[in-house]
Parts: sequence; C-alpha cells; structure tokens
Amino acid sequence: MNRKFIFLLFIGVLVISHQIKAQEITTVNGTVKDKLTGESIIGAVIKIDQLANVVVTSNEYGFYAISLSKGKYDLRISFVGYEEKRIPILLNASLITNVYLESKNQLSEVVVSSKRKDDNLTKAQIGTETLNMQSISKVPVIFGEKDVLKTIQLLPGVKSAGEGNSGFYVRGGAADQNLILLDEAPVYNASHLLGFFSTFNSDAIKDATLIKGNGPAQYGGRLSSVLDVKMKDGNNKNYTVNGGLGLISSRLSIEGPIQEDKSSFILSGRRTYADVFLKATDKFKDNILYFYDLNAKANYKIDDKNRIYFSGYFGQDELGLGSSFSINWGNKTGTIRWNRIVNSKLFLNTSFIYSDYSYNVGLKNGETNFNVNSNIKDINIKQDYTYYLNPKNTIRYGFNSILHTITPSIFSGTVNNNINKVGRNGLENALYFNNNFKANQQLTFDYGLRISAYSIMGGDQYNIYNDNVITKSILLQKNEFGKTYINAEPRFTSNYRINDLSSFKIAYARNVQHLHLLSNATAASPSDQWIGNSYNIKPELADQTSIGYARNFKDNSYELGAELYYKRMQNQLDYKDGTNINTVADVESSLLYGVGRAYGFEFLVKKKIGLFSGWISYTLSKTERKIAGINGGNWYNAKQDRTHDVSIVTILELNSKWTVSGVFVYSTGNAVTFPTGKYALGEQTIYQYANRNANRMPDYHRLDLSATYENKNKKKNAGSWNFSLYNVYGRENAYQISFQDDPSDNSKTQIIQTALFRWVPSITYNFKF
Amino acid sequence: MMMYFKFFKYLYFILFLFASCEKVITLPIEINDSKVIIEANITDQPGPYFVKLSKSISINEPNVYPIINNGIIIIADDKGVKDTLKHTTGGIYKTNRIRGVYGNTYSLEVKVEGKIYTAQSTMPMKVNLDSLRINTFPVNGENRYSIIPVYQDPAALGNSYRFIQKINDTLDGIYNIFNDNLNNGKINQRPLNNGTEKISIKLFDSVSVEMQCISQSAHLYFYTLNQQSGAGPGGGTAPSNPPNNINGGALGLFSAHSSQTKVIKILNK
Repeated sequence: MNRKFIFLLFIGVLVISHQIKAQEITTVNGTVKDKLTGESIIGAVIKIDQLANVVVTSNEYGFYAISLSKGKYDLRISFVGYEEKRIPILLNASLITNVYLESKNQLSEVVVSSKRKDDNLTKAQIGTETLNMQSISKVPVIFGEKDVLKTIQLLPGVKSAGEGNSGFYVRGGAADQNLILLDEAPVYNASHLLGFFSTFNSDAIKDATLIKGNGPAQYGGRLSSVLDVKMKDGNNKNYTVNGGLGLISSRLSIEGPIQEDKSSFILSGRRTYADVFLKATDKFKDNILYFYDLNAKANYKIDDKNRIYFSGYFGQDELGLGSSFSINWGNKTGTIRWNRIVNSKLFLNTSFIYSDYSYNVGLKNGETNFNVNSNIKDINIKQDYTYYLNPKNTIRYGFNSILHTITPSIFSGTVNNNINKVGRNGLENALYFNNNFKANQQLTFDYGLRISAYSIMGGDQYNIYNDNVITKSILLQKNEFGKTYINAEPRFTSNYRINDLSSFKIAYARNVQHLHLLSNATAASPSDQWIGNSYNIKPELADQTSIGYARNFKDNSYELGAELYYKRMQNQLDYKDGTNINTVADVESSLLYGVGRAYGFEFLVKKKIGLFSGWISYTLSKTERKIAGINGGNWYNAKQDRTHDVSIVTILELNSKWTVSGVFVYSTGNAVTFPTGKYALGEQTIYQYANRNANRMPDYHRLDLSATYENKNKKKNAGSWNFSLYNVYGRENAYQISFQDDPSDNSKTQIIQTALFRWVPSITYNFKF
Repeated sequence: MMMYFKFFKYLYFILFLFASCEKVITLPIEINDSKVIIEANITDQPGPYFVKLSKSISINEPNVYPIINNGIIIIADDKGVKDTLKHTTGGIYKTNRIRGVYGNTYSLEVKVEGKIYTAQSTMPMKVNLDSLRINTFPVNGENRYSIIPVYQDPAALGNSYRFIQKINDTLDGIYNIFNDNLNNGKINQRPLNNGTEKISIKLFDSVSVEMQCISQSAHLYFYTLNQQSGAGPGGGTAPSNPPNNINGGALGLFSAHSSQTKVIKILNK
C-alpha cells in the first residue's frame, strides 16, 4: 500500500517535470525586496488589475512567478507596512520583474498581521499565524526582551509551559511535538536559562510562522505544530548596527553589504550578565549563570538565477556552582541553501543542514567527579521545488533525508555506565507533493501527500520487550539497516469565500513523529532524553480535523476568526513510575504506550489598523491521555489541559514618540495531582494519591504594561527606550504547590504555594545607527 | 542523579531570590479512600521483627493515624518456618521465632477486616559497610560536608541500597537510594545528600548512617518516593502511590533487608 503511494508520487513528479519542458508560456517572475535594505519580503501579495482572480504571494525567498498569456498588465504588489506598488508590464516573452517596496511610516499597521488586508479570507491556510518581528516589538514581555516564542503564546490554541517560560504547547500536544525551525534547521531545545529566554534573538529574525497542525506537505516530523523562524538576510545597501542594553542581557547586531546589491551579511550576538551581579555578592559569588548566542547569515548572488545563503546559529548555556557543579547545553545549527530559478516557472531550493544539540552535566564533589554527556546530531538534505504551473495551480514537491545520531546519557569520570552506551542512528526520509489549486474566485484547495519513512540503523543492540520483559535482542552492525517504518501523511485544506467579508475553511492532516522526548521536568531541562523509533517505539501519529470561519469588519480593519479542532494521537510515550531515564541500562524496558485526544474551540478578534490596535484571543479546550499502566489505564487530563485561556493585547500609539501597550492573560490552572490522604512509614509522612491530574492549580492571571519612547522622525542614529512592568498588580500566581509537615506543629500538613514573580520591572535601551 | 535535580531547585532559588514568594494556602478538601497501611520489616539483626498496621487519613486531618489492632499476621520463610505475630500495642505486631537470613524469601499474609493482603520479599546478600568518609567541598567560600559510605559493590548486577542518615540523632528525611545501574562492581564513591534546607551537616556534627541492602521492589518504592519529593520547578514527575510489593490494595511495604550502622564525627581535616 505504502509502496504504491511512493510510486504514484514519483510518477506525478515525472509528469510535472515533463510538462516543464513541453510547454512554452510567458511568465513574469522576480523577487520582492525592501527598497531600503534589500531584505527579501516573504508573503508579499501580487495581484493583476486586469485579472481579478489572480493572487500570488512571494515565497520564503521573496520569489514569485505568474504564468500569463501575452498582453499588457498592471501588477499591484502589496505587503503590510509597505506602500503598495503598481508596475505596468508588457508581456511578449517571459519577463523578470524585481519589485522594491518602500516601507511606510510604521504608524498605521503595527500588529501581528495578515499579509493583505483580507488575506485571511482568501488563503487555504487554517490555524496559521505569521508574526513579523517589527510588529511584535511593542508587545510587553518579561525582562523587556521581545521574544517570538513568548508572543505566540498569546495566540489562541498556544499555551505557555509555565511562568515566563518560552516552552509552549499547541492544541494539546506536548512540548516536543512542535517542530521549531531556524532557517530550516531543527532546534531541539529552543530555550535558554531554564526556559526564561528563547534561543531566538529577535534582532536577527525576520519573521516566524506558526502552523497549528494542518500544514502543507512540505512540513513534517512533529505532531502538533511547525514554527518556521526565518533569519534576516542582512542589509545589502548600507551597514547598520542595532543593539539593545537591558538589565540582565544585551544584544548587538551588525549587518551590511559584502558587495552592494549582490551579497550581504548579518551577525548578531547576545549575552546575559546576571552572573556579574551574583559575583558581586558574597553569598552567591561562586554561581555561574549565563548564556550567549550568536546568529550569522550571509547570502551571495551568483547570477540572476542563482543565489546562495549561509546561516548559522550557536548558543550555549552555562550554569554552575564553582567547580563543584556544572550544567552546560547548547544548540549549533548550520544551513547552506542554494536558490535556483530553473526556468521562469520552476523555483528550486536545495538545503544542506547540520544541527547539533548537546548537554553536559559535570559534578566534582571532593573525590567524586563525573560528567554526563548527551547529544543529538542531524545531517539533513532537502530539495524543494515550487512549480508555478499556471495562475490556478502552484505545485510544491521535493524530498528530505535526515541522518540522526542520538547519544543517550553517557557517564565518564568516577561514575560510569555498566555497559558501554553508544549512539544510535536513524535515517528519516520524506517525499512530498502539494498543490495549491484556486478553483475559482470562491474556492481554493491545498492538498498534498507526504510519505515519511524512518529506518532503524545499526551500531547498537536493540531489545524487544513484551510487557517490559525482553523477548528478543537484535544486534545491528554499523550501517546495517533494521526495521523501516513507512507512513503516508495526507493533507487537505479548503477555503470557501462566502462573500467579500467572510470565508469558511475546512482541513484534515495526518502528522507523523519519529523522534520522541522523555522528560522528567516541567521546564526544558538538560536531563531530557530524545529517543528515535525502535522495535518497541513506533512512530507517533496524529490526525487533526479542523473547521474555521473568518470574517472581516469595517473595511477589513477588524478581523475575526473562529476555529474548531479535534485531534487524535496514537503511540504516545510515557515511562513507568520510578524510572530514572538517565541511568537505566535500556530506557525502552520502562516505557509505556498509549493514545491521546485533544479538542477545542479557538476565537480571535484583531484590530489591525489604526492608532489603537491589538487582539483578543480565547481558547476553550480539553486534552487527555490514556496510557496502559498509568491511572489504571483510564483517560486522564494531560498536564497542559487548561479549560479556558484568554489573552488580550492592546497597543496604543499616543503620538509620534510614545507607544503604550498592555497584555492581560487569564487561564485555568494546569492539571496536577494533589495528595488526597497521608500515612506514616518509619518516621516519615507519605502522601496518598488517587487519580492522576485530577486537581487544578489556581487560576492564572496577570497584567503587563509597557511604554516605548522612540523618536521616529530621526531616521539615523535612532534610539528607543522601553519601560515595562510584568505582573502589574502583583498577582502571586502559583508556580508550585507542595505539601509538608507543618514546622510549627508536626501533627498538621501544611500546603505551601510558591510564586515566582510578583513585579518584574525592566528597562531596555535599543539603538540603531 | 537526583543531585542535579536538586541542583536545579537550588538554581531556581538563586534566580528568584528576590522575586519568589511562598505562602501557606488551603485547598478544597478531597475525599480520601482510606487504605490499610502495612509496614513490615525483616532484617539480618536478631529478632523480634515488627509489623505495623494502620490506616491512611485525609490530608486535612491531624497526623493521628488510626491503628489496626485486630489483624492476623503470618510471616513464613522458604525453609518451612511459619510465625504468627502477636499484637503488642498501638497496631504493632511482633514475631516470635522467625529469623532474618540472607537469601531467604519471606511471605507475609495479613488478614484485616475480612480482607487478605499478601507480600513477598527476599533478603539480599549483605554488602558490608566498610567505613564512612567525609567529603568536603567549598561552596561560596564556605565548607560543606557530605558522607561517602564506603562499600564494595559485588560484581553481579542488581544490588540496591538505602541509606538512612541521622544528623545528631535527627533524621534528615532524605531518601538516599542507590543501585548499581552505574559503577557496578566498584567501590562506592557517591556521597549521600548533605541535608535539606531544614537540617544539614555542619562541622563537629555527629552523623550516623544506616546502610540497608534492599530488594529491587523496595528500591523502586523508595526511589519513586524520592523522585516525587523532588517535584516542582525543573524536576519531578506526576506523583502517584509508589509501586509496592503488597497484593490486595494495601499501601506500605514489606522489606527484608540487611542493616548496618556506622557513626562519624565531622572534624576539620
């Protein structure tokens, strides 16, 4: 069955390739760029005055192509925050028309935005939000550091992993079920400093798109969402320096042309310095606590048809206590991409991607000293074709191969594993095909198929367990292939435009995940353990169906969206109580398997234009798991199950210098397990538990305010000040609730609530010259 | 390995030293399903050994646990010795003639309120606690002390240990639970936890350490308890009743283990 699919897909690709050669249609294509910086613009909308139903958007590299019969046309190109541009063309033969858009005074459209004023109504995408870094800069965040991961948590269907945390859950999925891409390279741990910062330095980032489970076929590998983060290309006209000085961190970026109009670079770095303050104190002078990261990117235009991009990320966290403890972790990613305009209708991108996430824990305690090392490495090749068949059909197809090397906790020093643990390899392959078909002015379809395969590879022994008892062992030699899992992932989205103001959307997608995260911590922690498919661990599957309704009001200045989703998850993983996932000889001996389900209603109303802008988002949802061996095999609430989630974001431009903004969030508390009873064993009190996650943390709510001063009249050497106050009314939101014997009266149990922050003020100075 | 979870907790503490706040709260009362609690131990020390029967209570009640004084308890070994225990006082029952021998498997049968609970435990071979050593490490310019129990782990895999530490005769309340998943067959170099926020080892303290060689089921029980005590920011799993070796739905544990205690005084070296 699956083999047949692959075969058909190949045939499809062949047929398309053949057509490319056979047909000869005039095409206009080119790249859309910012006039001032030369930065390519993703998602610019190109329309043709003479043909009402032609709407094309520029791709991830700013490229667009439209096939038309010969004639005279007027192109109309628009993008949020930019002046609309009209270009008359005479199409006798295929034509290259590059477009340079000029940015508007940013007063009018500042918010998270759709590409075009009514773009939300025409696109076949559902559950998708794009954040432009410029547009989120006014939204208040903790520590005054604008952060894409924290801003997306204010959108419907996205939940924060905890107070001030950059981890997130999408539509009931776990934190490891989000595919986070930085210039196509997967980032395995997107957090710094126990989750309080994300790995994304906003100065280096152009935009980020979040797809909540119903993505097109070119994306795959995780169940819940894709967060596609793209770095800036760098200004190819002028040198600029950007930076920010904050209370606990600072950042600096330099960008400029290598050769004007041809090539450019951007280099951006960040470091926190809380450790400097700690050093100044007597009590904490031995504490080490900082992170730094570096983003670099360069691009070079070889000729009109070829362009190469190099991008890299390097980030490292260093935590420690003198010489006695240390915990370090970091991500390294590197991407080389080659854009090639094969012909006027076919755009090809080839990527070579390297990604490395590793952690190291060191302990030196008198004579005991050891290190624990863990690591996941990917070598990845991707080839992605976009074929602009005609104004009605845009086809994407391609393949992706990833060689994973996953090394579990390996001890060295005075503490050692009993058996030599070695890294495991896995080969993940995917082949995909996707067509965007505009049937008519009302109806758009986006459909495709992704075939994903994961092959277990040799170099290690694989044990097969039945009820956690070994029944068979398979030793695979290095480079020998074991079992291969093949899955078909059909995707379908349709948009029906009811009238000028509203549209209806429906979507189904299957997503497959071959890598799994075992975690015994709430926040992203170095003790997390990734594991690939094996003879016991099958690929995780999710089927998500969603329907949506979108409507615009008042000349498209208000946008309303409502979506319903139902997601079913299979082959979900957990481990048995009392398992130490880092030291157990074979963690597969302690795994448990089950299913999950998540469903909900999401509502978003946005005001996009005007001095006063913002949005209100509301989510009503339920998320449950059922795993044999947990909670008596009955359904239970997942940790991230929260019934209600509300976010209100408002931004008000007072005048040309001051902008004030506010965020209010409210959510039902996380599902947790509190003891129902207690007993004594020895001299210790032990708590008795009933159903898993049957209790709730107290409701969470918080108001943040921020004010930004910026002299917009000054184009050069512009500086801005940001003042923000997190948790304005000092709500003590429960971070942890613990039970203990009352220290003043041993016969009683005391319940202690710990809150992390009451007020967190911050000041950041941002500069640019 | 728990060490670094504890360390995370410590980091959080530093991070939010000036920000985090604790307060005592009340939560809605949960209905508790009161269970029979069995605490039964056989050791390699001369008898009698004791079994305690009690009941669990609701979290809001004062820590006065109802005792069960009308239970019928039988402990038998795999060598044909069968011992019916006698109630002494306060729900505590004592053995008459059964002896704790390494390698013997003991069966427990408890009849309470018409229900029968059973359990089995094999006493592991003894691993000798050779000595205690002091491990000194400076933190922020201040010396801290922890104890390393010195013992030779046997070559065969599957040894589990529990250490009960008392600082100046006060129980520190920490579950120090080791096994040989790491460093099998080697002389132990891992220190015990040096205490909690409430009680920690200081210079001139007298520290006593009881080493127990425990069965794997006891290891699982105490290790799970230990993991749950680390619950909270940065660490900890969803808590549940730790898996035990008692059939029939009672909580608690039946453990046959060795027991050896040594004392050390913390002196400046």
